Amino acid sequence: MGDWLDANLVGVVNGFAIGFLLFIVAVGLSLVFGMMDVLNLAHGALFLTGAYVGAAVVGGDASWGGFLGALGLAAGLGLAGGVLLSALTEPLRRRSHLDQALLTLGVTLVVAELLVIAYGDDPLSVGAPPGLDGSVPVLGAAYPVYRLALIGVGALLAVAVFVLVERTDMGALIRATVADRDMVAAIGVDNRLVRVRVFAAGSMLAATAGVLGGPIYGARPGLDATILILALVVVVVGGLGSVRGALVGALLIGQVDSLGRSLLPDAAPFVLFGSLALVLVLRPQGLFGGRGVARA
Amino acid sequence: MTPASFPGISRRRLLGAAAAVGGLAALPACGSSVEEEPSGKGGKGGKRAVKVGLMIPQSGTYAGLGKDMKQGWDLWLARHGGEFGGYKVTTVTADEGETPQTGVAAARKLLQSEEVDAVVGVVNSATALGCAPLVAEAQKLLLVANAGAGPITGAKRSPYVWRVSFQNAQIAAVLGEHLAAKHGKDGVYVIAPDYAAGAEFSAAFAKAFKKAGGKVAGSAKPPFATTTDYQPYLSKIRASGAKAVFCFFAGAEAIAFVKQYEQFGLADSVPLYGAGFLTEGAVLAAQGKAALGVRTSLHYSDQLDNPANKSFAAAYSGKYDTPPSVYAMQAWDAANVLDRALKAADDTSGDALGKALKGLGTIDDSPRGSWSFSGQNPKQTFYLRTVESKGGKLVNAVSDELGTTAQIA
Repeated sequence: MGDWLDANLVGVVNGFAIGFLLFIVAVGLSLVFGMMDVLNLAHGALFLTGAYVGAAVVGGDASWGGFLGALGLAAGLGLAGGVLLSALTEPLRRRSHLDQALLTLGVTLVVAELLVIAYGDDPLSVGAPPGLDGSVPVLGAAYPVYRLALIGVGALLAVAVFVLVERTDMGALIRATVADRDMVAAIGVDNRLVRVRVFAAGSMLAATAGVLGGPIYGARPGLDATILILALVVVVVGGLGSVRGALVGALLIGQVDSLGRSLLPDAAPFVLFGSLALVLVLRPQGLFGGRGVARA
Repeated sequence: MTPASFPGISRRRLLGAAAAVGGLAALPACGSSVEEEPSGKGGKGGKRAVKVGLMIPQSGTYAGLGKDMKQGWDLWLARHGGEFGGYKVTTVTADEGETPQTGVAAARKLLQSEEVDAVVGVVNSATALGCAPLVAEAQKLLLVANAGAGPITGAKRSPYVWRVSFQNAQIAAVLGEHLAAKHGKDGVYVIAPDYAAGAEFSAAFAKAFKKAGGKVAGSAKPPFATTTDYQPYLSKIRASGAKAVFCFFAGAEAIAFVKQYEQFGLADSVPLYGAGFLTEGAVLAAQGKAALGVRTSLHYSDQLDNPANKSFAAAYSGKYDTPPSVYAMQAWDAANVLDRALKAADDTSGDALGKALKGLGTIDDSPRGSWSFSGQNPKQTFYLRTVESKGGKLVNAVSDELGTTAQIA
């Protein structure tokens, strides 16, 4: 019994590490969708770009300089990518989601193929920076330090994003644009700049998450789809356009993914999407989503 | 924050888009490319020609394996004047993709529009099984150069499907016997992903291991291709009190598992054993120091000390600047076997080639050591390999021979 408890408490800790990483990826997707009504399937490609930046700059033997440099470079690429995507999707804003999905899916395919051409098909690994690459005993079993650090960084970023969106004037404008962008425009605010900024910031977070996730996920072809699907699940569970929803959804999915596998090993393939289905049945608009979504 | 309404956003559409992303994997595998000008097929006057379809994954998870196979195949042809048994060879490369949906379609295209004389390659076992009726109908040879499922060359095999690589169960069974002798009484934990090949490895290992008196301490089946975090399973291994672990993982999963096995502190206390793919090819470099001491069973290592391998490994490293993997060796051997078969066969039909393969006897110049066909699957020696650091690079050093086996029922 003691062993069982130990094993699952470690699972909970692990769920937080995965959950915070998912939050960093999903928050941008959620805000962009919620505020701009743009379904950005290229979000996974941004994560993948970050992952490959990590693999190229950091590589197997990480140094702090390399790791921070990779974070900076990924952030820059993410910003640029976000601005570009924002410009690309702007003309499609009034068109159906299928058109947006096709465009951003196309961008994903192109980016993924370019990365394969540049870095090859083989999966690459990313080391954790010195000092974080070892293990420490957590509840009697060795646990990688990097994942503990990831929990800290993720929590910090979550607080920062939360304060920005919920407690500042800029955040108020973002929330207002999410709620009703036409009304915001009608009272004389040019919200185009807000949209570009949110798109850029969300994309930057996704790309940096690629570097942060490197020591766990590495960089490989197909990782973009894996991450995008997880992020979409988080967004659907949490509710569109809500930072709080993205955070709760991400932490929940992190726990489901980590704990679900150890508690229900035989049902492991279904646990993730089972919980998604459960949320859709019980609360179709997502845990923190507005009612309008379900109606539309 | 309580946002209000999003006109035009429907949950169904979002989910539909998510499904579309899931369908991404099925997209590739449409292209094929021809190398070398086709020269009058089987014409009587000029030089005889044979057209071979090389079906390998060029996209998706297994693309790295496909690249190695292509290089091994190309190297053999380059060193033998581009000929098989007096036939000028035209290679048509087709992308197998990840799944039987893409793979079987690629095979159909090779057989029907390209009208190849034989198909070589195939990484995915389900694809190999799906191609069997196609080649039987076309009466062409399918020479499997990787896919390891038992039924491909089992009791219900097609006479047109031959395999130069391995059967999954062979690799697992020899290690089962070895571990029973070494850690049998202490208990061994068995873990492999939840799909057909994983199940074959687990079952074949457990069967041989128990038969030799071993005790299985527990087993797990992580979901295939979607598991990137093995913490829940590693905790279970620790809790089971097992004294050794047998696993089967390949590609990105192998990297993640070996690295996390070390990060979660198991590498020091519970020795890790596995099927050779765990530390084969490009994954070994990506695993880095975490792989040191991992022991695996396979029918090949680029460190094998025999003249055929030394010349093969030197030529391969010289041309591609990387040591050959088992996948490259298998494609090289497929070319070698096809060369021998075409020398002996009356024509390029599947029946003639099958008859020729039956009479090949021992393949004595393979980099893996001598082997022969038993049924339509190799009877070959397996090696115990230990990951060591050699001159600053990680290699699969050959520690022991695990015995010789043919197809296991």
